[in-house]
Amino acid sequence: MAIATPPNPAAAERMERLELIWESRPGILGWLTTTDHKRIGLLYFWTTLALFGAGGAEALLIRTQLAQPNQHVVSPQTFDELFTMHGITMIFFFIIPMTTGAFGNYLLPLLLGARDMAFPRMNALSYWIFLASAVFIYTSLFIGKAPDAGWFNYVPLASKKYDPGHNIDFYCLGIIFNSIASTLTAGQFIVTILKSRAPGMSLNRMPLFCYAMLAASFGLLFALPSLSADTIFLFLDRNVGTHFFDPSHGGSTLLWQHLFWIFGHPEVYILIVPAFGIATSIIPAFTQRRLVAFPLVAIAELLVVFIGFGVWAHHMYTVGMPTVSMVFFAAATAMVIIPSTIQVFAWCMSFVTGLPTFRTPLLFIAGFIFMFVTGGLTGIMFVAIPFDQQVTDTYFVIAHFHYIIFGAAVFPIFGGMYYWFPKVTGKLYFERPGQISFWLIFLGTNLLFFPMHIVGLLGMTRRVYTYPSGIGWTAYNLAETIGGFVTLGGILVLLGNLAVSYFRGPPSGPDPWRGPTLEWTTSSPPPEYDFAVIPRVTSAYPNWDPADREADRLKLADGVLMLERGHEQPEVTPVDGRLARVAHMPHESPWPAVLALALALLFTMLLIDRWGTAGIMGIVCLLALVGWHMQEPEEE
Amino acid sequence: MTSYADTRDVVGRPAAWWGMLILIASESTLFGCFIGSYYYLRFRSATWPPHGIPEPKLVVPLILLAVLLTTVVPMRLAAKAAATGRLAATRLFLALALVVQSGYFAYEVHDFSDQLHGFDITRDAYSSIYYTLLGADHAHVLLGVLFNVWLLGKLTRGFTRYRIHATRAIALYWYAVSVLTIVVYGVLLSARA
Repeated sequence: MAIATPPNPAAAERMERLELIWESRPGILGWLTTTDHKRIGLLYFWTTLALFGAGGAEALLIRTQLAQPNQHVVSPQTFDELFTMHGITMIFFFIIPMTTGAFGNYLLPLLLGARDMAFPRMNALSYWIFLASAVFIYTSLFIGKAPDAGWFNYVPLASKKYDPGHNIDFYCLGIIFNSIASTLTAGQFIVTILKSRAPGMSLNRMPLFCYAMLAASFGLLFALPSLSADTIFLFLDRNVGTHFFDPSHGGSTLLWQHLFWIFGHPEVYILIVPAFGIATSIIPAFTQRRLVAFPLVAIAELLVVFIGFGVWAHHMYTVGMPTVSMVFFAAATAMVIIPSTIQVFAWCMSFVTGLPTFRTPLLFIAGFIFMFVTGGLTGIMFVAIPFDQQVTDTYFVIAHFHYIIFGAAVFPIFGGMYYWFPKVTGKLYFERPGQISFWLIFLGTNLLFFPMHIVGLLGMTRRVYTYPSGIGWTAYNLAETIGGFVTLGGILVLLGNLAVSYFRGPPSGPDPWRGPTLEWTTSSPPPEYDFAVIPRVTSAYPNWDPADREADRLKLADGVLMLERGHEQPEVTPVDGRLARVAHMPHESPWPAVLALALALLFTMLLIDRWGTAGIMGIVCLLALVGWHMQEPEEE
Repeated sequence: MTSYADTRDVVGRPAAWWGMLILIASESTLFGCFIGSYYYLRFRSATWPPHGIPEPKLVVPLILLAVLLTTVVPMRLAAKAAATGRLAATRLFLALALVVQSGYFAYEVHDFSDQLHGFDITRDAYSSIYYTLLGADHAHVLLGVLFNVWLLGKLTRGFTRYRIHATRAIALYWYAVSVLTIVVYGVLLSARA
C-alpha cells in the first residue's frame, strides 16, 4: 500500500530524513554519478532500446535484401557486416542488458524488499562500461570496419589471413569489453539476491523472478570466461602472432568452436531464463493465484542453466566428432526438455486453475508460451543427429532460434514493459492499442519466422547474400519480409502507446493489478529509498498478505526498521534470510563513469596497436580505482 | 573510536567477502578455460613440448611456489588480527606478506623474459598457451601485490569497518591466487610427464 501519508508526526519526521538522505543530485550530473538502481535500470533501458532499434534496422535491411531474388540492395560486404552486427547486437547489446541490466536492476531490489543493490557503485560501473562497449562496437559500423564473420566468428575465416582489417579486432575487444559489464552485473545480482533480501525472506519465500535472475547470473558468471578466453586467444593470434587456432603450428580451429559454444549454449538459456522470470511474475498477477508448483519451477529455472553447460557440442555435429561424443551431447540436450516442460505445464495449469484476465501483459505471456513450445518442438528435432546434420546452417535453424529468441525471450520483455509501466511511471497504458500491438507482433513474427522452416528444408542456407529465381523460395522470402515489417509496425504501436500513456495516461496508483510481490506495496514511481520501512515477508507473495502489510504500517508509526540514519540497508544470511547486520551503502560517485571512460581508451589503444599508451591507460584505470575507494561509507 | 569486535560477524559474512568470491569464481573459470585449452592442444600434438623447446624446469619453480605459498600464513594472520581490531599486527603481517610476494613477482618477471629469449611466444601453439597461462598467473599475483599496497596505504589512517572487510576479502583473494598458482604450475610441469 502507499506510504504517502505517514501515521504520526514522528514518522513524518523520519520520512523527511529518509527523503533528504536518499535524494539524488539534480540534473545531468545526478545521472552521471547516480548509484540508484532504478536510475541505472532506466539508463540501461533507454540504451538497450536504442540498440534494439539498431539491431532491428539491420534485420530489416537483411530482409529487404532477401525479399526478392537477385537483389543488390546492399553490397555483399555490407550484408556480411549486417548479419554479424544483427546477431551481436541482439544478443549482447539488447536481450542480456535489457533483461538483466534494465529489468533486473530496476526490479530486483524492489522485489527483494531492498533499498539498493549490494554494490551500488559497481552497478553504475557496469552500465557505463556497457554503454562504452556499445559505442566502441558501433564505431566499427560507422567507419565501415564492422565485424563480418558472423556472430560466432569461426576461425579460420576470422583469422588475420582471411580477414586482415580491424573488423575482427573490433569483435574481440568489443566482446571482452561487454563481457566485463555483464560479469559485473551477474556478480552483483548474485550477492544482492543472497545478501540484500528483506529480513524474513528465506530462499523458499523468494519470488520466482529472482530465481530466474539468479540462474541467469550464475550462467553469465561461468559462461562468459570461456568467451573471454576465446576472444583473448584470437586477439593474440591476430595481433601478437600466437598460434592457438593455426593448425600449421600445432593450433586447432576446433578449439575456437569448443570455447565459443561452451559459452554460447549456456548463453541461449541466459537469454531466455529472465523471460521465464518475467512470465512467472505476470501470470500470478493476471490469474490471481499463486503459481502452480512453485518449488519445481524455481528448481527448473536453475536446472535449465545448469544443464545448459553440458550441451555445447550439439552446435558442432557436422565438424567431425566421434559418434560417442555426439550421442552424449544429444542425450544431454534431451534432458533440457524436462525442466522446460515442468515450467510450461506449471504456467498452463496456472491459467487453467486461476481466473485469467487477458490484458496485454498476459497476452504477451500466452504468445510467449506458444512461441516457446513451437521453437522447443523444432529444438527436439535437432536432438536427432542425422536430422541436425541435414539442416545445419539452413534457414530451418534460423527459424528455430528466432522462435526461441524473439518469441520466447523478447515477448516477455514486451509483456514486462506493459506490466511494470505503471510502476515505473505512475501511469496506466491504454489497453486497446496494447492489444493491437500484441496481435500485430504475434502475427508479424509468425509470418516472419514460420516460412523460414520451409525454405530451410528446401535448402536455403543461412547468411546467403541472394538467391536465383525459379527455385520456389521467392514467395516464402517475400512473406518473411512482409512479416518483418508487420512486426515493426506492432513494436511502433507498443512504443507509441507507452509514450502517449506517459503523458496522457490515467494515474495508476501503487497497485493497479493487485500484484503479488513487494514492488506493488510502494508508491509508483517508487521513492529513491524504495521502501519507507523494510517490509515484513512471510511468503513468496507478500503483497497478498494483508496482515504483514498492516504490520509495515505499524512499524512506520513506531519507526521500526526505517533505518533513517544514513544510506542503510539490512544484510541477511544467504539461506534463512535472518538479519545479519545493517550495511552502510555508498551513494553517488563520479568514479564509475571515469573508470569506464579510461577502460574505453584502453581498449581503443589496444585496437590501434598502441601498446605503450594502452599500458598507461591501464595505470589510469588503477588510479581511478584508488580514487573510487577514497570515499568510504560513513560510519555511525 | 568504536569497538570493532562486532565485525567478526556474528551471523554470516560481509558483502565484500561475497563480492571477492564472485571475482574469484569468474577468474578461476577463465583459468579453467585456459587449462582446458592447454590439454586440448596437447592431446592433438604428437610431441609435447614440441621438438626444440626445453622441458619446463622442475626444481626452481617448485621452490618459488613454496616461497609464494608461505605468504598464505601472514595473510591469514592479518585477516584474523583485523577481525579482532589489532591494527599494528594487521599492518605487520600484511607488510611481511607484501615483501615476499613482491620478491616472488620480481623474480618471476625476470624469469619470464629470460624464457622468452629461449623460445618466443609466436613459435607455436605450445609456446602460445604456455606463456598465456603463465602470464595470466603472474598478472593475478601482481593484482594481489597491488591489493596489499593499497590496503597498507588505507591502514595508515587506522581501521574502519570497511577496511576490516577489505582485509578479509583481500586475504581471500590471496588464498585463491595461491591455489591457482599451484594448479598452473602443476599443469605446466605436466609437460615433463
